Amino acid sequence: MNCQTCHERMAELADARLDRETAASVRAHIEGCAECRREFESLSNTLKALDALPSAAPSHRLRARVMGQIETEKLTQRGGAEWASSIRRAADTRGSRFPWAGALVALLGACALVAVGFTLGERTATGRQVAELRARVDTMGQLVEQSVLQKGATGERIETVFATEREKPDEQVIDGLINSMAFDASVNVRLSALGALYHHSDQEVVRAAVLACLPRDPNPLVQVSMIDFLVAAKAHEASPELRKLVADSHADADVRESARRAIEQL
Amino acid sequence: MTPSIAEYPVHERPFGLEWGPSPSVDDKALTPDHELMLAVRDGDLDCMGELFERHHGPLYGYLLKLTGNRSAAEDICQVVFQRMLKYRHTYRDQGSFTAWMYHLSRRCASDHFRKSSSAPIATDPSRLAEHADEAQSADESAASRDDHALLHRALGRLDRDDREVLLLSRLQELSFSEVAGILECSVGAARVRAHRALKTLRDHYLQLQKESPS
Repeated sequence: MNCQTCHERMAELADARLDRETAASVRAHIEGCAECRREFESLSNTLKALDALPSAAPSHRLRARVMGQIETEKLTQRGGAEWASSIRRAADTRGSRFPWAGALVALLGACALVAVGFTLGERTATGRQVAELRARVDTMGQLVEQSVLQKGATGERIETVFATEREKPDEQVIDGLINSMAFDASVNVRLSALGALYHHSDQEVVRAAVLACLPRDPNPLVQVSMIDFLVAAKAHEASPELRKLVADSHADADVRESARRAIEQL
Repeated sequence: MTPSIAEYPVHERPFGLEWGPSPSVDDKALTPDHELMLAVRDGDLDCMGELFERHHGPLYGYLLKLTGNRSAAEDICQVVFQRMLKYRHTYRDQGSFTAWMYHLSRRCASDHFRKSSSAPIATDPSRLAEHADEAQSADESAASRDDHALLHRALGRLDRDDREVLLLSRLQELSFSEVAGILECSVGAARVRAHRALKTLRDHYLQLQKESPS
């Protein structure tokens, strides 16, 4: 064994990582080579100092953030399709102020739609709009990863939301905000996204998304903000969901009270 | 008189290192990391929480020494676990979880350094007081803190690549062939690079010791 090879194996010798034969060979060389012996001593001391450096513990925020991501991913995995279909249902069943006459209204609505469509020749356009709406809802699940996982820390995601707020609202921007509101692990980011979405509350898909997220958001503060959003947006279609919240004994008391007031205002 | 080779320290494992093999890996009563990660890959995301509990401490310690910055180390650590979730489908049946985790952390750290153009800085020495050994006397403790501060500064003077290979080679969970795999080079090349990095660190450390007022 030459000095160069011996030097390269010194750290492993100090860590007892070498097999017995190689270790014996390196030791034998060090015994017979004063320069390598000094080098080994010096490097061993440096390794000892390096390994003795205190290892600080991370803050509790790290655990909270990662566990939040895991929960978000579980939610996405479990409820992605379910959530998308709930939005679709919410969007499709929007605006029914007469639940007692639901079937009749649906029938009349369908007849009227067909009649108007045939009369005005807009059947194709209406179908296309509905298809586009559904397509947007269906792609939301795929956008979740982009929204949640490709963003950085909480501050960065909030900045992204604010930047998005200033952008010209196209479909992708709206979808991004909806995904942040629905799936981001941070309450602050979800609230920021909800605030940014208020500028687009005239859009049906936005109101439907807020309504779909309301019962499943784990944070009462966000839920109350969502209720305020729906009231401000005059989302009359929210009343059935709000009644369910009021009746839900497991829901937070403040959330139930907010829902009760919202029903009165709507 | 020069001591015999037998008197030089040969350690079963590095001193004071809390990064050693995860106890869970050795503990037969617990599920091995690899099986947990396979379960995550197959959709049982609860297992990721267990992997986090087992590994975030050592990983954070590694990243803290690599970056010299607590906040950056936490951010990178978070991104590593994010990517484990995101890329869980790429985890292989014959994989080593630890090697995969450090492979991801290398990519994440690289992204971090690319985004933040500022060079890594050594940890604020004042923070080292938080971790001083309480069993030591005040003088010993102060001397130890000084030594730690010097070594942090010496680490900060290393090129990032040197710091990376050196710190990876100190992780007892990783074999040298795994370190080589993470660095995407041959085992021989990894060994040479680790040795050179150690020598450079030693030189910086000795230089700083000479410069510091005793």
